[in-house]
Amino acid sequence: MLSVKSVGALCGVMLPLALSLAPAQAASTVYPLTLNNCGVEVTFEKAPERAIALGQNSAEIMLLLGLEGSMAGTAFWPSKILPELAEANDKVKLLTVESPSLEGILAERPDFVAAQLLNLLGPESKVAKREDFANLGITSYVSPGVCVTNSESGDVHGARDQLWNMDLLYQEIDELSQIFDVQARGQQVIADFQAREAALRAKVAAEGQNLSFVFWFSSPTPADDAYLGGKNGASGFIADLLGGTNVMQTEVEWPTVSWEGIMATNPGVIVVADLDRDRWELDKPEAKIEFLKTDPAVSQLEAVKQGHIVVMDGQAMNPTIRTIYGAEQVAAQLEELGLFQ
Amino acid sequence: MTTLRRHFGEQAGLGLFLLLSTMVLLLAIAAGTGIGEMSIPLDTTFLAVTNKFGWTAVELDPIHQSVIWDYRLSRALVAAFCGAGLAVCGAILQSLLRNALAEPYVLGVSAGASTGAVAIIVLGFGAGTITLSAGAFAGAFASFAFVALLSDGARAGAGKTILAGVAASQLFNALTSYIVSTSANAQQARDVMFWLLGSFGGVRWPEFQLVLVVVIIGFLICMYFAKALDAFAFGDDAAASLGIPVEAVRVILFGVTALLTATIVSMVGSIGFVGLVVPHAARFIVGPNHARLLPTCVVTGGVFMVLADIVSRVILPQQVLPIGVVTALVGVPFFSVILYRSQRAK
Repeated sequence: MLSVKSVGALCGVMLPLALSLAPAQAASTVYPLTLNNCGVEVTFEKAPERAIALGQNSAEIMLLLGLEGSMAGTAFWPSKILPELAEANDKVKLLTVESPSLEGILAERPDFVAAQLLNLLGPESKVAKREDFANLGITSYVSPGVCVTNSESGDVHGARDQLWNMDLLYQEIDELSQIFDVQARGQQVIADFQAREAALRAKVAAEGQNLSFVFWFSSPTPADDAYLGGKNGASGFIADLLGGTNVMQTEVEWPTVSWEGIMATNPGVIVVADLDRDRWELDKPEAKIEFLKTDPAVSQLEAVKQGHIVVMDGQAMNPTIRTIYGAEQVAAQLEELGLFQ
Repeated sequence: MTTLRRHFGEQAGLGLFLLLSTMVLLLAIAAGTGIGEMSIPLDTTFLAVTNKFGWTAVELDPIHQSVIWDYRLSRALVAAFCGAGLAVCGAILQSLLRNALAEPYVLGVSAGASTGAVAIIVLGFGAGTITLSAGAFAGAFASFAFVALLSDGARAGAGKTILAGVAASQLFNALTSYIVSTSANAQQARDVMFWLLGSFGGVRWPEFQLVLVVVIIGFLICMYFAKALDAFAFGDDAAASLGIPVEAVRVILFGVTALLTATIVSMVGSIGFVGLVVPHAARFIVGPNHARLLPTCVVTGGVFMVLADIVSRVILPQQVLPIGVVTALVGVPFFSVILYRSQRAK
């Protein structure tokens, strides 16, 4: 694990190369397959048959790859399953929506563990370290997105100095499809996402306007400052994809901003997140919209007066496969509002 | 209680009590090794341990072998030593500061450790070179240094030292909140929360080696000063008149508690109330004499923590409750009783 930093940097360099080579050869995997994942050499003797997905994004990628038959369990779900994957997901055991215990994972007798976050599988994790599995002959995989960001100055949750994009997600889909020998399906999923991204960009280029967005994740109460999506995170990516800008120009991934501060930016469109959880007073989109329309000051915002408020799945604001779904969701509502020509 | 105290007043009685409670501790550790989410037969559990000692060589399921030896046993032992260490720290601080509510975290050590750890988690300071534990350790000592400075090396008196500790806690908690609120997202704030409440989830044998050495050394130093600690109960002047170098002893003992607490917090997060509750319970059993109190704290703290860890692991299926939640849920009612009794005594 000493070389995480250098390998992370290497991944960044080699990624475009890997991606440009991958689509050409959607062949079947030749085992043993050795991958360098976050600085660890992992060798697969055969496709895993009892895989555990730690983290919603890892689970959803596996389900997109049609791997429900090879999965022994999933854990850590901040939000609901993507509707089109719900049926497949029902076939896989849910260990817990929270952080699982190592024993709970091992009790499923997994042969492979894939994790979305380092706190679920990593050197400082309270759940498991990669060696725990390696010692038992269980292979493991960590999302390339987290090891790259964590090894450089910009932590995945802290701040990043460049706009997030889908490349590392594509790398993850590609590598998982190799591990499970479903490369054709993997390339199809990547091509599908790329096509959807391209379609949105084309549509925006043709009909879009340069809109300014504010992405409101939630607030504990109406009186509290709002949790927003920052410039370089998934929210910034969505704004960019839709041909606009995020009014929050801080590199902090999740800035907390007062309504006065938000009003000062005078956003053209307010994106309110739809969260599954119900922990804070303003977690639900209806509550957010109610606040926007009734607060004496905020209701005077041009975007509120013109009804330029759109609802988006909150999970899209995390850098996951859900981000592109969120962008499409927003685009569809912008079209309804007549914000596309 | 007084009859109990008289009963155990003699050395033989104490010896018997310690013997019995050590057996209880061993039983608790055995239970911690035997109980878990994965149902592993008792004979397998036993063989997994004896295999590793080289007494048996039975072929076992490698997953069972690993779960028993690498996770459950090491975890139970670390829990026992952390409980022992925190309880000893609590007893020392309650005596030194002559305050029934003193506990290891009163010196702001936990708040400092949290700030250090959160800085590592959230800001990714020196990720790869400085680990989370090192960050927590640095934070703990920064806070301790702050308290030492404010209280003039703890010479300023018990009241001032506690005030300095409160100030340090406030300062470092504020820094933690600042870091979390300016740079963390909701998910990460939850990770931080989980870390702050403590967990034995990440511990393995290397942690055991460290905590074993630190707790034993700390305990022996404290035992060496047991007589001096008894004298502190009558005030600094009384202690000084008995020929005890008050300032030196105080600095040494504060240093030992800071080292113990920082080690434990950096390893398993901050686990509240053990350091507060256990010394009081131990005093009810063996009285205030430190030569008896400290060994009693070691075994009682160990048992309490091992049992709390078992509860934290089994209470929710498939997931682990932060250990601090369990110790506080047990600790707070106990704390209330102490408070109530001390009010009535006045």
